Amino acid sequence: MKEKLEQIRTNGLEKIKNTKIMSELEEIKKELIGKKSELSKVLKSMSTLAPEEKKTIGMLATQIKTTFTEKVQQKEEEIISKMSVLDEPIDLSIPGKKVTEGALHPITQMKYDLNDAFLSLGFEIYNEDDISSEKYAFDNLNFAKNHPARQSMDTYWIAGTEDKSGAERLCLRPHLTGGSVRYLLEHGAPARFVYPGGAFRNETTDARHERAFIQYEALIVDKDISFSSGMVMIQTILEKVFGRKINTRMREGFFPFTEPGYEIDMECLVCGGKGCKVCNHNGWIEVMPGGVIHPNVLRSANLDPEEWTGFYINIGLDRLVMMRYGVDDVRLFHSTDLRFLKQFK
Amino acid sequence: MKVSLNLIRKYIDLPKNLTDEQIAYDMTLRTVEVEDVENTATKYHDIVVGKILEVKPHPNADKLRICITDIGESSPVQIVCGGSNLYEGQKVVVSKPGAEVVWHGEGEPTVVKETKLRGEKSYGMICASCEVHLGEFFPNEGETEITDLKDFKCKPGDEIAKVFEMDDTVLEIDNKSLTNRPDLWGHYGVARELSAIYDVPLKEQEKFELEKGLPKYNVEIEDTTKCNRYIGVEIDGIYEKPSPMWMQSVLTKTGLRPINAIVDITNYVMVAVGQPMHAFDKTHVSGEKIVVRNAKKNEKLLLLDNNTVNLTTDDLVICDESDVMALAGIRGGKKDSILPETKGIVLEIANFTADTIRNTGRRFAEKTDSAIRYEKGIDTQRVDEGVDLALRLIKEIFPESKIIKYADVYPNKTQKNQIQVSEEFLDVRLGKKIPQEKITQILTSLGYEIKYKNGEYSVTVPTWRSTGDVTIKDDVMGDIARILSFDSFEAKPIDITVEHSVKQNDVALDRKIREYLSNRCGFYEIYTYPWIDKKYIKAAGVDLKQSIKLATPPAPELAYLRSSLVPGMLEAVYKNLRYYESFRLFEGKQVYRKGDYRPSSDDEILPVQTNYLTGCIVGKNAKEIFYEAKGVIENMARNCQMEELELKQVKKPKWADINAYLNIVKNGETIGTLGLVSVQTMANTKIKRTNVAMFEMNADKLVAYESRTNEYERLPELPLVEKDLSIVVDKSVTWKEIEGCIESLVKEVEFVDEYNGGQIPDDKKSITLKVRMINEGTTMTSDEINAKINKILKVLNDKCQATLRT
Repeated sequence: MKEKLEQIRTNGLEKIKNTKIMSELEEIKKELIGKKSELSKVLKSMSTLAPEEKKTIGMLATQIKTTFTEKVQQKEEEIISKMSVLDEPIDLSIPGKKVTEGALHPITQMKYDLNDAFLSLGFEIYNEDDISSEKYAFDNLNFAKNHPARQSMDTYWIAGTEDKSGAERLCLRPHLTGGSVRYLLEHGAPARFVYPGGAFRNETTDARHERAFIQYEALIVDKDISFSSGMVMIQTILEKVFGRKINTRMREGFFPFTEPGYEIDMECLVCGGKGCKVCNHNGWIEVMPGGVIHPNVLRSANLDPEEWTGFYINIGLDRLVMMRYGVDDVRLFHSTDLRFLKQFK
Repeated sequence: MKVSLNLIRKYIDLPKNLTDEQIAYDMTLRTVEVEDVENTATKYHDIVVGKILEVKPHPNADKLRICITDIGESSPVQIVCGGSNLYEGQKVVVSKPGAEVVWHGEGEPTVVKETKLRGEKSYGMICASCEVHLGEFFPNEGETEITDLKDFKCKPGDEIAKVFEMDDTVLEIDNKSLTNRPDLWGHYGVARELSAIYDVPLKEQEKFELEKGLPKYNVEIEDTTKCNRYIGVEIDGIYEKPSPMWMQSVLTKTGLRPINAIVDITNYVMVAVGQPMHAFDKTHVSGEKIVVRNAKKNEKLLLLDNNTVNLTTDDLVICDESDVMALAGIRGGKKDSILPETKGIVLEIANFTADTIRNTGRRFAEKTDSAIRYEKGIDTQRVDEGVDLALRLIKEIFPESKIIKYADVYPNKTQKNQIQVSEEFLDVRLGKKIPQEKITQILTSLGYEIKYKNGEYSVTVPTWRSTGDVTIKDDVMGDIARILSFDSFEAKPIDITVEHSVKQNDVALDRKIREYLSNRCGFYEIYTYPWIDKKYIKAAGVDLKQSIKLATPPAPELAYLRSSLVPGMLEAVYKNLRYYESFRLFEGKQVYRKGDYRPSSDDEILPVQTNYLTGCIVGKNAKEIFYEAKGVIENMARNCQMEELELKQVKKPKWADINAYLNIVKNGETIGTLGLVSVQTMANTKIKRTNVAMFEMNADKLVAYESRTNEYERLPELPLVEKDLSIVVDKSVTWKEIEGCIESLVKEVEFVDEYNGGQIPDDKKSITLKVRMINEGTTMTSDEINAKINKILKVLNDKCQATLRT
């Protein structure tokens, strides 16, 4: 009897050891410790044995059953740990499923980046309409009566109004600055706001020139502030756009609606200021004009220049986006070409 | 404009330790943008004066000679040369090995090498003027001749750059940055700026003493609103000859071509002090009289190139007794040119108003140097500087000349502007206190006269800044700031006073919608131009009657401004179909229609301008893209926190399919449309083999919620029982009808899909729907569930003749 039990143990352990599949293991388990197993039969036939034998055989049989149970469980774990949910091999090099396609226009993305920055400085966002009048686009902004931009070759005048003047002569706005007076008339001072948008000029187009371009302008009007506070706005913009501090310089510039006016250059990022083709070998790139708001413009906005002052900065978003990504043709922005737009997520 | 630093140095002593680049940088920061710094000597390197000691025939070539030439080195060198005018003792231009020359004056420069010509050694070459950038100085040189330096004071070995005074630096200034500075269009004005920047004195210009009691030249100004001053000087003993080398050198370096001494003098005066002038041959001025007047109707001016200009009564002209001789301040006519037979001249130094010159000048494609300067508005006192310098130069170059008559008609004098500037104003606006001495130094060196008393500066603006440039105290402040350099002021922080946070719901909604469409719904944002190709406007069936037109459009077919975003979207779809077959685009921009709109003041009436939003889904399966687009609109309100939109058929826009369209309705008002693009419109726009689902709406009608509005719903204690049902109904039965039957019977009903084909008869369709049921308080038993389902099926059968699909 004892030999038989040893035989059962050896055979059983061998079977457990050799199996690799879960279903087979289930079968083996049934065969070894199930109700109809040899071991069960042995246990059932115990009553026929002598008391002495009963004890030793009984112990041995129970011991074998425990061993089987343990080994089966071990084997189960071993098999499960090697199992995959897939019943087939998987090609891990196949690309993953795409998330939702789609993107904002790269200029919109830049605009939102700047909006976020200026919002944190307490600026409001203002949108002027695309069509304006000579009064708001030029007269209010201290443009001389005979300024060349007022001529038809520079500005897109609306048919039927081109020979009129002032508030009756309408145009697609040639710059955003006219919006500053509209906002100030509506909200008064103090004020701080940005007004992004499209501007339109009658130009011959090429890789660097467009008829429709997107600008971003900011204006602060307050009492007793110095023009040098304008530099903070400039640094805010450049840090936001390029993610780090960018060296700038401020130099003399002239615009009818500012006094004094300045041009802001940034260090050329291509050559690091050493001079290269991109920056025309002088290490600096003109990025934005700005200046102190001209007293006549404040007067147009019904504000007393003795009391109020302020400063502008204006950025060509097209140009900034071109620099951010190295885009070499400004006309791509209005091309509606998905091959271009899909590159900006 | 080109500025010669050598000429500048005639007027000021620049600090010794400055590099030319530093000067350019300082000027760029403080005055005008210097675009380029050119060392004019560079192109003359290794080119020197040589003296031919011996001319020998070349053993192997008839036309070549061997010249033993002294080039100032330890021993003479041998140079082979083919010039036809060689002689012993001749001083010539020698390009040594390493020099760069332009062969026969054409093409790119090449480097001279020590070489052998037909077997004879040649150390460099003896050059013609056009080969070594000296052509301007030797206009009469023959084609086979080499340059003869017999008239020049020089010795062998002298650098040619020095001999011709080309050892100079020329600053190229961006003309655009000079538009508001008439005083900087001459070297003297630029020198004045540098004297302010470096705090070095500006030398005074020398005067010319006129002989007393000269007879008056007859000058008459008819229109004194256009001509402020006219000096006419009749001078005898002037004839055509070249101007001195130093003058030719200055003209060449500043971009002008030397012509003859008298023309060169007028150009030199313009370059030096910024005052244009003109010389007439005195015999061409008939009646010995100059009249400045407006042109008469139908009058014409014959130009030097034999073209005629038709004059208008707005044009100011310079006439003699009978004819028009010149367009005032712009260009001369054929009649006034200086010719070989010229023996005397009448010199014009005048001041014409900027508007006059600009008006007439507009007619010519190219602006003359004179017109460019007058357009900026020159002060009348500059005429004095011009006269003094011109007469001094004439005396120097034509010592035998004699002034015969003189006239100075001076109806309007430029008045100096007076401005009061308080110290406090400067302190606040500049953001720091600048010492009174520094302010005085800066303003004085710029030509201002200032008096300081009790915290106030009384400032007298110099005449050359009083023609429009400096009129208010801010201009004075600007001058101080820029000369100190804007960069010398530290960036001041902006104070933020928080009264309330910025809250602009409409601005935020616009962004939410764009981000919803691009980031959630897979649309790409496009930008189109406001002017739209008429072809697409017509294809979209947009009514042109309400459209705004441009007076001078970019192209004839682009005259109309958009009154809808659909045409532009169709064009974008058409273009992208070349590369993609399915995609999603959107655009949010303004559209314009005739109408009355007064955004800012009563006098300004603009067309109606509305923010619109359009989008499209392009794909083959029309039904599928329609429902996709519908889903985008249906989910917009919830995702963008705005008031709900309703979709129903009200009125079909021209571009939409006759069946597949829904209007977008808000509070009973139709604000847009969602639909498939019609067969007709697609045919007209050549959009082929695909379909387009388009939506367009008035975005100004969308209303943002003040805050998020949905309410929390308690979670059910018991699970919902979910059942899918597939029913078969007539094709004409709508989902809305089916939903209507069931809604009241269950907690939720949801559309799953629609199916045609298979065992479904042609006039029927199968709809699968999902219902969710719950009993208040207790779990539903299977009997209860079956009873509910049966009830649903019965209602559907009664109202929609629906049967359960088997």
